[in-house]
Amino acid sequence: MGGGSIGKRGDIQYEPWYKWGVLFLYIEMLIAIGVSIYSLYMAFTGRGGFPGKH
Amino acid sequence: MRNIKTHKVEQLIIAAVAFFWCFLMWFATAAFSPSIAQKFNLTIAQMGILASSALWSAPILRPVAGYLADKIGAPYAFAIILVTTGLMSIASSYATDYKTLFIERAIVAAAGISFVVGIQHVAQWFEEEEMGAAEGLYAGTGNVGAGTGALLLPRIYGTDYSTAFLHLGIVALIIAAWMLLRGVPAKSAERAEMAKKTATIRDTAFVWTRFAAIALMFAYAMCFGLEIGMNAWLPGYYARGFADAIKDLGFETIKDVQIAAGTFAAVQSFNASLFRPFSGYMSDLWQRKGWMPFPIISKALPYSPRVHWLMFALLSITTTMILLTIAGLSNNVVLSVLILAVFGVTVAFGTGGTFAIVPLMFKERPGTATGFIGGISCTGGVIYPLIFGFSSNIHMGYAYVAIFMFIPMMIFYAWAMHWDIHPEDHGIGTKEFWLGEYTEASKD
Repeated sequence: MGGGSIGKRGDIQYEPWYKWGVLFLYIEMLIAIGVSIYSLYMAFTGRGGFPGKH
Repeated sequence: MRNIKTHKVEQLIIAAVAFFWCFLMWFATAAFSPSIAQKFNLTIAQMGILASSALWSAPILRPVAGYLADKIGAPYAFAIILVTTGLMSIASSYATDYKTLFIERAIVAAAGISFVVGIQHVAQWFEEEEMGAAEGLYAGTGNVGAGTGALLLPRIYGTDYSTAFLHLGIVALIIAAWMLLRGVPAKSAERAEMAKKTATIRDTAFVWTRFAAIALMFAYAMCFGLEIGMNAWLPGYYARGFADAIKDLGFETIKDVQIAAGTFAAVQSFNASLFRPFSGYMSDLWQRKGWMPFPIISKALPYSPRVHWLMFALLSITTTMILLTIAGLSNNVVLSVLILAVFGVTVAFGTGGTFAIVPLMFKERPGTATGFIGGISCTGGVIYPLIFGFSSNIHMGYAYVAIFMFIPMMIFYAWAMHWDIHPEDHGIGTKEFWLGEYTEASKD
């Protein structure tokens, strides 16, 4: 049980598309953080929120 | 297999766009539910049934969709779903009575089953080391369709849901044509043939009885099942559980309270969708670094670090659920909402982490396994809100689910993943029992 190969498997070579994919997922993450901060700011200041306006 | 010059990124984009549109159609009814309720004078109970009808078909039809993807190829399975739901969406735009509209929209909601088709498609095109990010990009980007629908559809179409349903259906047909024109079932004819060969009732029964498949189904019920359950539950929870606190923020009327409560719920949903690709990337990263911190779970599988990443995700979900109860009991709405935002991220860790494993563990039966894991887990979306609703204290439901459901599920997950060789072969009944005599498709 569980006693096999431990350690780095860092010898993986990714194809060129991968770095663009990672960039895209970081953009998605930033959108999520941005929408969260904006929506919560609107809600906590009593101005409205997502998905409608106050 | 069709002889089309393509690239796996093109296949990923087609699948993500098709899934995004299917998700948009899936939740379009909910986006217009106030207008529909007003036009047909619906009661609150009728509105509840209309909302829940969006989930009815998922547990039953997702396994069928997965089976179909293996059998005929994902592009064709996608096209069938898009054409059927697209035509029904167009038909629903002409509905004049509520009964017809309800039936037609319940059929359109079946578009959500396309999730498993795309997972199978991506699995057929990408390599093991990039599976997490590829599946995460597909599913995460597609999932945003739900939030985008809620955000944009009422703003573009106002209360004119008929025109919206018409346009959504027409675009679905266009995407179906694109899928048929450019979609290729797998990277190689061998991969497509292997999936086709294992799409049998026997193989389905074999997958459904594997401990590892059941454990992954539980894991997905702990994240995606919970996500869709929370989507339905949270607006009501904040409106009732924090009524005074929301009033203190300046939201006085019922409509305003709904907006505030809906905002808190949407933050969870948005994070759960948009962090999902990041989770797939983290699964790739754990795999590359060889991180395996947990006892019991095997460290010898070619994808063991991914299994450990999912365990970390499940622990995070369980912890944030308990923290939600603590924040609720302290009547601190700000703390509760901040924890909820983190909770959305942990849910994404779970969803992205699960489907970074499934295609690797069930390499020969990607559609069948995805259909089972992605389908049956949706029942969580019905079960959790019931538990939350029937809890003696409105805030306690999260802790009850975490302690009495999630902890046992995690123990089962760790146990089901303890085998160092082919954990996917262990289950109720032997491989020979379910698959009969030795075949190429069932060989180790």
